[in-house]
Amino acid sequence: MSVTTFPQLYAKLRHKSRSQYALLAACCFFSTLLITAYVLMMRSPTVLTVLPEGGDSRKQMMMIFVLTVIGCGVFTAYASGLFFRYKSRECGIFLALGATKSQLAGLLRRELAALALFACGAGLLLGGPLSWLVWRLFRLLVVDTAEMVLSFDRKAYGIALAFFAYVLIMLFGMLYRFLRRTNILDIISESRRSEPVRNVPLWYGAAGICLVALGTVLGYQVPSFCVTVLQWYPPEVLTAIFYLPALIGLYMILLHTVVNGWRRGKNRYAHLVTTSMMRFQGRQTVRNLLVVTVLVAGAYFAAFYAPILGVSSYQGFDARKADYAFHYRADQSLPTQQEIQALAKAMDVTLTNYAQQPGAILAYDGEAHVEAEGKMGVTYTTEYREQLSASTFLSESAWNALTGGQLQLAPGTVVAVYNDIGDSGGMVSNDISLVTNPITGKSLSVIPVEPVLCNSVLFGRRVLDDGDYAVLSAGLPDDWREEEVVFNVQNVESTYAFAKALFYEIVDRSGPEVELFDAWDPVQKMQADAAGEAYSYDKAYIAAHGFESIDYALRDSSNFRLAWKYMPQFRILDKMEFIKTMAVYLMLFIFIAVLCFAAVFVILYTRCMTIALCNASVYDDLRHLGASNRYLFQTVRQQIKQVFFVPILTGTTIICAFYCMILYFNDDKLSYGELSGMAVCALLIASISVLLYGFYRYTRTKVCGRLNISVRHAQKR
Amino acid sequence: MLTVENLCKSYQVGKTNYAVLKGVSLKVETGEFVAVMGPSGSGKTTLLNCICCYIPADSGRILLENTDISRLGADAIAAVRNQKLGFVFQDFLLLDGLSVRDNIMLPRIIGGKPSAQMEQSADRLCEVFGITAIQNKFPAEISGGEKQRTAIARALINAPALILADEPTGNLDSKSSRVVIESFLQAKRELHATIFMVTHDSFAASFCDRVVILQDGVVWRTLERKDADRRAFQDELLNTIREMGAQEAAR
Repeated sequence: MSVTTFPQLYAKLRHKSRSQYALLAACCFFSTLLITAYVLMMRSPTVLTVLPEGGDSRKQMMMIFVLTVIGCGVFTAYASGLFFRYKSRECGIFLALGATKSQLAGLLRRELAALALFACGAGLLLGGPLSWLVWRLFRLLVVDTAEMVLSFDRKAYGIALAFFAYVLIMLFGMLYRFLRRTNILDIISESRRSEPVRNVPLWYGAAGICLVALGTVLGYQVPSFCVTVLQWYPPEVLTAIFYLPALIGLYMILLHTVVNGWRRGKNRYAHLVTTSMMRFQGRQTVRNLLVVTVLVAGAYFAAFYAPILGVSSYQGFDARKADYAFHYRADQSLPTQQEIQALAKAMDVTLTNYAQQPGAILAYDGEAHVEAEGKMGVTYTTEYREQLSASTFLSESAWNALTGGQLQLAPGTVVAVYNDIGDSGGMVSNDISLVTNPITGKSLSVIPVEPVLCNSVLFGRRVLDDGDYAVLSAGLPDDWREEEVVFNVQNVESTYAFAKALFYEIVDRSGPEVELFDAWDPVQKMQADAAGEAYSYDKAYIAAHGFESIDYALRDSSNFRLAWKYMPQFRILDKMEFIKTMAVYLMLFIFIAVLCFAAVFVILYTRCMTIALCNASVYDDLRHLGASNRYLFQTVRQQIKQVFFVPILTGTTIICAFYCMILYFNDDKLSYGELSGMAVCALLIASISVLLYGFYRYTRTKVCGRLNISVRHAQKR
Repeated sequence: MLTVENLCKSYQVGKTNYAVLKGVSLKVETGEFVAVMGPSGSGKTTLLNCICCYIPADSGRILLENTDISRLGADAIAAVRNQKLGFVFQDFLLLDGLSVRDNIMLPRIIGGKPSAQMEQSADRLCEVFGITAIQNKFPAEISGGEKQRTAIARALINAPALILADEPTGNLDSKSSRVVIESFLQAKRELHATIFMVTHDSFAASFCDRVVILQDGVVWRTLERKDADRRAFQDELLNTIREMGAQEAAR
């Protein structure tokens, strides 16, 4: 059919170059889809209910989201740049033949608006179903709990719409810049012109590595320096700036890779064609590598969550010195030894080493942080308080009875109980000097002794000399006393049903007065009541502020299992239900990792295919110059290798180093559990690397196919 | 038809200013076939690009049918390009997604004047330039000479006042070059076209009525063919170029 109008002719050209339109549309669609799926999950009530406000998990989720948004933003800008580069010749010819800019502007505006609306609209629409589908697969194939029921918050679409708005603004901004150009010859030759990438000195690579290391350490350490040394809680935006050297360093490494390469000496000329092709689209190449590096780092960061948490938790369960342990306030009517034994007998479980000992809730002294809101954020001053917080104190004989130990403490001494690997987790310290009975006011100066005691089931308790304990605990009512129960069972692996029944029995018989968060502190509560102030861990206060409080009706929820003050520690129950308890955490981070890796795959594939699209004429020229199929294959392979392996290796190395640093600086050592977790992470990296390598081979074959290069023939010789 | 008066153009590269045209003046009469020759860097292509208004001149005037086109606004210059000028480029600049016939009709379509007559004009131009058999093919499927003949037909579809050609034989073999030059002569003869061609090919220039030789951004000499034989005119051209080279070497 003959074309007679300019719009018809333009439509015909659009049809002929539909692959370019499809590329831009696919990039916009995929980016919006990814952002929508992520943000719907991130803002989902399912996730927000489980992940505590201000907790590390939420921060990590947000951090990876920011990286993903940056990655998708740069990726769509890259695709748009390619599109305009491609359109420049066509538009230049139109202008040269007398088309007006307003004629072109109208057509381009309409088609870009339609493309963005269609592509981003589809992404917005399908983001929800994608999230639901992946989550549903997790529920079907991995774990399903009541908490895993997915619900979406419609407000989350606001963030996805903001990304859509960014895509529109970016596209129209580029169009405006495109149409503002006046030199028609420049416009025509745009697609054949090299993007200027300035030469960079050879030290750029090494300096980049140093900056990455510096930025990573600064970014991680500066917040704790501010808190501990400057007594200032800096805004997170401010501390994030300290990661900036890492980003600059990363850019320098990638720039050095594209401009100079890492090979020196005799091989330089062997890579001449490859290097020049990479430099031809230098800026886009560097930006792409940067985006993929960041996404790989984000993806692995999310992917490491499950193995690190899982391995260290399971090792923690195994390391416990008792199969069953629970404690309860003495005013509660919980199952007695006889009742427990009866239940065990009914369920064919044999108890061994049953021990039950009293403990006393006493106040200890220390430095309180008195916070003040200032212009630069919250600062604090320290203030010594004789009754800072409450802790459960045991007598040395109770300790010995519970643990089978031979502890002998001198009067006037105290020792804290850390976990089985000697880690305080920042929750307990062995530095108190005064212990007080908060009811009678009787106090005793104490001296902490080393070494600390290690026992996870009694973690956080403190042990006193028998005489001191008797003096200090005298006069305490039952709600200031606790009972500690520990016992073992024969063949613990087969006692899951018993563990579950006992756990339910404990919950069912606990009164509303102990339906409390583990951070609820009776001493601080007493002080708040005396001052007429609300106590922030009171159930009413928590509910009034919109947070989920501890609820016996939700005894199987992760919030209850992780945060109930009197949560029993039953090895078999914790092991068997770990995945269920942590389901939302684990699946959320796996979900994030899947999304980020999907983005990595799509971006790598797109980038590699543009090598074929943009360099087809160069490969024809090389053929005319006598380049063999093998040589052409090698140049493709070298380029695709760089596109794949540089960002993957860089991202993986950075995130591994960063993760090791986090684990180390958590407690100034790498525990066995953490090392084991990292070993599992290494296996994960190996598995994903195999997948990425397979994808690399697939992409390479596709690119070679587009360039009419025979892979089989090239590899034969 | 075309009058160029004291045209100056310079480029800024870094902090250095390079003057490429240093006051070029020339005239092209209706129905004339004029070539511009000169060594590399003499300003031939810059002169052509200024006349096309693809790049703005620093000073001077470009009068096309007594209108100073260098002073026109963007839409007016677009209309001039579409209606009054036809373009033939060294690398053809055909749209790969359009057939030969569609490419030829492109200026008429852009100008918003499609009609049944447009298709007839395109068919006639195909016939004139011997590309009827390939009119439904795409640029990737035809030879360089055929591409350039398509480009010439495209340049003529709106019956422009002036055809501007930039090295039209630069990418072609001698046989195709000959065909392209024959096409220009045919356009001049049958369609009364006025042609202004930039070339460094003395063979192509020898077919012209007049050859303007540029050196260092100024008109160095103008040679008129008059009634001379083409070969004799080519010899005269070559001798003049040699003379220019000798003078350049003596400086």
